[in-house]
Amino acid sequence: MAATQIATAGFVIEPGQDAVTVFEKHRAELMASRRLMNLGMAALFLVLLAISVYVSRFYPERLWNGAPRIFEYFGTVMPNLEIDKLFEARGANGKAVPGSILYWYSDFGKYMTLLFETVLMAITATMLGAGVAFLLSFPAARNLAPAHWINVLARRTTEVFRGVPEIIIALVLVFAVGIGPLAGVLAIAIHTAGALGKLFSEVNENASTRPVEGMRSVGGTWFDEMRFGIVPQVLPNFVSYTLLRFEINVRASSIVGFVGAGGIGQELNHTISFYNDDRVMAVLILVVLLVTVIDLVSERARTRLIGRENLI
Amino acid sequence: MSEMAMRDIRSARAMTVSAADVAALKAQFPDAFGNMRQKLVTGTLWGVAIGYFLWSLWFFEFWKLFFFNERAARMFSEFFFWGPMGEWDYAGIYQGLAETIAMAFLGTLLGSVAALLIAFAAARNTMPRSLIRHTVRRFLDLLRGIDSLIWALVFVRAVGLGPLAGVLSIFVSDTGTLSKLYSEAIENVDRKQVEGVRATGASPIKTIRFAYLPQITPVFISLSLYSFESSVRSATILGIVGAGGIGKVLVDRFRAGFFDQVAFVVINILICVFVIDWLSGKVRAHFIGEKAH
Repeated sequence: MAATQIATAGFVIEPGQDAVTVFEKHRAELMASRRLMNLGMAALFLVLLAISVYVSRFYPERLWNGAPRIFEYFGTVMPNLEIDKLFEARGANGKAVPGSILYWYSDFGKYMTLLFETVLMAITATMLGAGVAFLLSFPAARNLAPAHWINVLARRTTEVFRGVPEIIIALVLVFAVGIGPLAGVLAIAIHTAGALGKLFSEVNENASTRPVEGMRSVGGTWFDEMRFGIVPQVLPNFVSYTLLRFEINVRASSIVGFVGAGGIGQELNHTISFYNDDRVMAVLILVVLLVTVIDLVSERARTRLIGRENLI
Repeated sequence: MSEMAMRDIRSARAMTVSAADVAALKAQFPDAFGNMRQKLVTGTLWGVAIGYFLWSLWFFEFWKLFFFNERAARMFSEFFFWGPMGEWDYAGIYQGLAETIAMAFLGTLLGSVAALLIAFAAARNTMPRSLIRHTVRRFLDLLRGIDSLIWALVFVRAVGLGPLAGVLSIFVSDTGTLSKLYSEAIENVDRKQVEGVRATGASPIKTIRFAYLPQITPVFISLSLYSFESSVRSATILGIVGAGGIGKVLVDRFRAGFFDQVAFVVINILICVFVIDWLSGKVRAHFIGEKAH
């Protein structure tokens, strides 16, 4: 081993050479190649940007013309509340006073019914989807599937289920079963089965296989192995993922109404498309509130459940 | 005490287990056989869940599923048995797909730029004034709380049909998401470099340039790429409300009853999303190496 020869990743100092010169030369080379790489990346980026601007016709003058209209629109959907009339009750003729909260939320009962339907859709879809995902997750786990072809089949199924966006499934199902929340529930459930199926199967793959071997050694069937070997280990994780998915599904069920699949989305679509007034903001505020409240409650539940055992 | 009892049972009857043994063990380890109260609680919970589920199926008129009409049957069969593919409008389909990717790209780019500026106002270590920080954060919550499809509907109303509304809606929702993630990355930077740069007498702007940016750039690039992937997914459906892209192509074909083309478009979307994910994974690996996110 030569004391003068220092080999690092990339450069070698031969005996008799000045270490500093070699180092500087190598550094210059590295910097040059890196600059070239960065320039190449920047050029590629600019080309992509130009193509994108051209394809989506996102020209500055269009944006320039559009920008004032955006602010104008947001101006029109703001509620016109008047401080002195804010809490006034209905007048003698049964009509609310313009400028009061009561007037702004004159359709409050309808909104509440639809919000209730939205939450029910999310709950039912999550239960249905998580149930299917639970059944799919055992054959979809690489180390647990009873046969290779079953594993491949289960994995492809979950991929297709989660690959197609909910709202497209909802569009198709509205055509098949008619306008109403059933199409939305099924669409969200299908997507949930795909998304949770993948997460569940990953949890299953990481579970300890010792209990499974134990079950096999006492003569258990494949179902016994799963039921007593895997399920008790993975159930807390499953519940946590399901609650997380429930939060996502509340958002989804508030928009599937855009294609007629029930929930508050139907009303939201209606108010935004046909009215140019404060009703838009009234519904939007309720949707944001619903999503926020559900997120908070579900987060509480998740932090309480994590680490708890014996869920069965 | 319990160990001795166990040994007694084992030595007395080596192989056979009688009901009396089980009873004795039950008395000794009541929790191992499940206690009555917990069983009751979990049983009730399951009962409530199943009861709710059945009721909700009735509420959502589940029986409709079994009465679907002939049009629906034709639709499902056309999903799988395609007509002649020669006269399909491929140019329109791929134009829509390109538009979708362009919308996602521009929206994420603009969102990243906006988030780069906003994130410093939402991070605890760069924005010590809690009033401003909390106002900015609540504003970001609002942007994130509204789904990009709702934003698209609003922008279609504001700037008209077309991809511009799509770009703006992705820009707004990405700004909300990325600002939050960026500000978390800023909060996690190493304090030592910041103090080092500040000790040389650097101005706040220079501190950000030389102490924060070198640490957070790889994280930012990675987050923006993830955001791009998710934006491509959401951009595919924005056309449903008229905001351009492949969603519009899909809905037009669907409304016109060309169900075989709908299936073709969906397959194209799936492939496109898959390729984008793969490419963005490659780019991410180039910037930060395989492991780090």
